[in-house]
Amino acid sequence: MEIKQPAVAGTLESSDCMVTVEPGQGEIELDLDSVVIRQYGRQIRKVIHETLDRLDVKNARVTVVDKGALDCTIKARVECAVYRSNGIKDNLPWGGVIK
Amino acid sequence: MSDFYISQVDPNDARTMARVDGLLTREGIRRDGNLDYTCAMFDENGQAVATGSCFGNTLRCFAVSGAHQGEGLLNQIVTHLIDYQAARGQFHLFLYTKAEAARFFTDLGFHEIARVSGKLVFMENRRGGFSGYLKRLEKTKKSGVSAAVVMNANPFTFGHQYLAEQAAASCDALHLFVVSEDLSFFPFAVRKRLVELGTAHLSNVILHDCGPYIISSATFPSYFLKDETAVIEGQARLDVEVFKQIAGILNISSRWAGEEGASRVTSLYNRVMAEELPKAGIRFVEIPRAGACGAVISASSVRACLRSGDFETLEKLVPAGTLHYLMSPEAEPVLRKLRSAKDVAHY
Repeated sequence: MEIKQPAVAGTLESSDCMVTVEPGQGEIELDLDSVVIRQYGRQIRKVIHETLDRLDVKNARVTVVDKGALDCTIKARVECAVYRSNGIKDNLPWGGVIK
Repeated sequence: MSDFYISQVDPNDARTMARVDGLLTREGIRRDGNLDYTCAMFDENGQAVATGSCFGNTLRCFAVSGAHQGEGLLNQIVTHLIDYQAARGQFHLFLYTKAEAARFFTDLGFHEIARVSGKLVFMENRRGGFSGYLKRLEKTKKSGVSAAVVMNANPFTFGHQYLAEQAAASCDALHLFVVSEDLSFFPFAVRKRLVELGTAHLSNVILHDCGPYIISSATFPSYFLKDETAVIEGQARLDVEVFKQIAGILNISSRWAGEEGASRVTSLYNRVMAEELPKAGIRFVEIPRAGACGAVISASSVRACLRSGDFETLEKLVPAGTLHYLMSPEAEPVLRKLRSAKDVAHY
């Protein structure tokens, strides 16, 4: 999927994360802030990249402010931000891929 | 997670606003005069326990009741404001906060741009924002003596031209920054073009955009909108801190400005620069303004002429490029706006 317009999903509350996606400059540019970056930074990055991969997002600036979210939360927030950027509001294909 | 609810506070709802003001006062914060959105969190008794506001692309006036600190209420307020800003298309956000509160915002994805020591910290939610701006500037760095001028040029006059000429003659490279914020009568694209035309004869001038960093509605909202002296001064100090970093990157050794008599904001700004810049080893040069018709030239007087349709005087105040634009159909919408404005002078 293409990142058509900037979009935000998630919150800054404990155990959640806030994901912002914006049109990129030809690649995935990930800026991660996390309260547990030392413990789980690598895993969080992996989840984000996998989710973007599955959604076929190749070109985006992604900002994630993580407050200790579980992998499933991170995944859901990333998906939601990408869907919002595409203006998809109904019949969200959670866990799927939109062509 | 608390059971408190967040809602928008209508500025006309005096009763609720008084509660928000009460909370701000108790936490030692003054509500800014210029806000375009305020939200607050209320407890079960309807008392405000946390609040935050927006103006343009900034977040401001945060407070959490002393009785509820450490409960993550600020996180909820910031989330609410970010969502609100996203809904109106603002993603690159700025805020300033008291120095002791900065670490809370660092945890919420904000990065420091500059600070007025012991007073306030200016932050943005983009890690490479200001550093990216500095990197782009660095490419234009020149060897030898460099100087800087920052102008709004609303619109570009003989006064601006005189200032640029004087500054350019003093150095090997003059970095000229044009205020990018579109809050003035003349749109940025026009102001910049007229500066370009009016300085074309100066071969050592390098034009830059101020972006959101110098004299913007993020750093210096009171430049554009009326506010109190203490507020203007605080923001001017912050602006100067940002400029010091830019000066460091470009090796700028002097900043030039015209003497200011009429505008309160600009004269305060000049005074702060005169105080602060030498501390960073930057000379602040204030030159007497160029005159015409027995008075100094200023953009405010040009706007006054335009409003009254006095094109005869105008010819003596602005260079050919600006005059040509002002006579063209392109300028019509701006002139219409000027004619219907109550006040065209910079306060």
